[in-house]
Amino acid sequence: MGAITMGVYPGLVGSASYDFAIKFAGAAAKKGHKVSMWFSGNATGSVKAHQKHLKDYSTGEKYLTELLAAGVEVCTCEACTVARGVQKTESIEKIQWNAMHWYLARIHSADRVLLIGGE
Amino acid sequence: MSLGVFVSDYKLSSDTLERLDPGKTGVILVLNGVWHALLKESGKASSLLDRFSKVYALSEDIETRGMLPAQVDGRVKVVNYDGLVDVVFNEFEKIAWL
Amino acid sequence: MGDVKCAFIVQKPQYKGETSRLAMTHALAYQTVEILLEDGDTVTPSLCFIGEGVLGITKGQKAMDIYGITSSESHLKNCLLVDLDVYVCKEDLDKFGISVDQLPDAEEMGAEKTINVVPFSEIAKKMDEAKHVLFF
Repeated sequence: MGAITMGVYPGLVGSASYDFAIKFAGAAAKKGHKVSMWFSGNATGSVKAHQKHLKDYSTGEKYLTELLAAGVEVCTCEACTVARGVQKTESIEKIQWNAMHWYLARIHSADRVLLIGGE
Repeated sequence: MSLGVFVSDYKLSSDTLERLDPGKTGVILVLNGVWHALLKESGKASSLLDRFSKVYALSEDIETRGMLPAQVDGRVKVVNYDGLVDVVFNEFEKIAWL
Repeated sequence: MGDVKCAFIVQKPQYKGETSRLAMTHALAYQTVEILLEDGDTVTPSLCFIGEGVLGITKGQKAMDIYGITSSESHLKNCLLVDLDVYVCKEDLDKFGISVDQLPDAEEMGAEKTINVVPFSEIAKKMDEAKHVLFF
């Protein structure tokens, strides 16, 4: 099995690219691949806990919690996250907080890297 | 093949795409990129299908848009998310998202 | 595993979106990645600007004065200061009428590296040589 590192930059609401990233990560993990996800830019807003799932909007928390339970590693860029007013104490449990070198380190060990840029 | 490029828009990102070597590059159509596999604008299929010999499209994104895999251009291989994971790991040495 | 080469390809202009700036800040992190890696392991990004990505990287930017944010010029100078290899596509500069002398250097900060203005074929070579290609 391989290892994939995904950089996810688009925001949770307003871009289906985020939804694609979540679904693809789940499919890769289900097949036994090691999946590491780095959230940067607007994607970092999605690490806040207690999201309300309104059907007209994409949701992150439910799916992120499932990914984390399936062994997917998720790390948010601390600077990007606090810049959006989200504190570590408000974060979904088990999501890691770190700096950009975390992403580069996971790139180092990855067989495949998929950076999904912001809009 | 060396590089698998995700195309997630119909019109956008064609600038970069046109500069990539089709001999080394394949295309993976997702989100609005799947329209490249479906539309015949003014009766003509997307030029992307002429340029690249290896093209995949994501079935879930085709069906989300009310279209059917059967409507896809014959040069495109339709895969679901599971199949897409295999494409990423087995068909290309590296991947990129435009 | 040693060194892993990455091609960071900036294809979007600076300032409206965040992605193009994040290419530079992520590239800068190559300096500190070693603290998370085994001895001898490194990640080396090549930072390449193509297409509309060549817009917003020229000298004399006033982003801090006007919007209170670090300018892309400043990020670019920091990239040079930490010895990153920076490439800008010559055909695209020509296309947009940007001259080479409009590009910044970081000589006053003590940087030894300067921006390499190269044909697209050179940037394509960087993509071929890299283990991973990331478009910003």
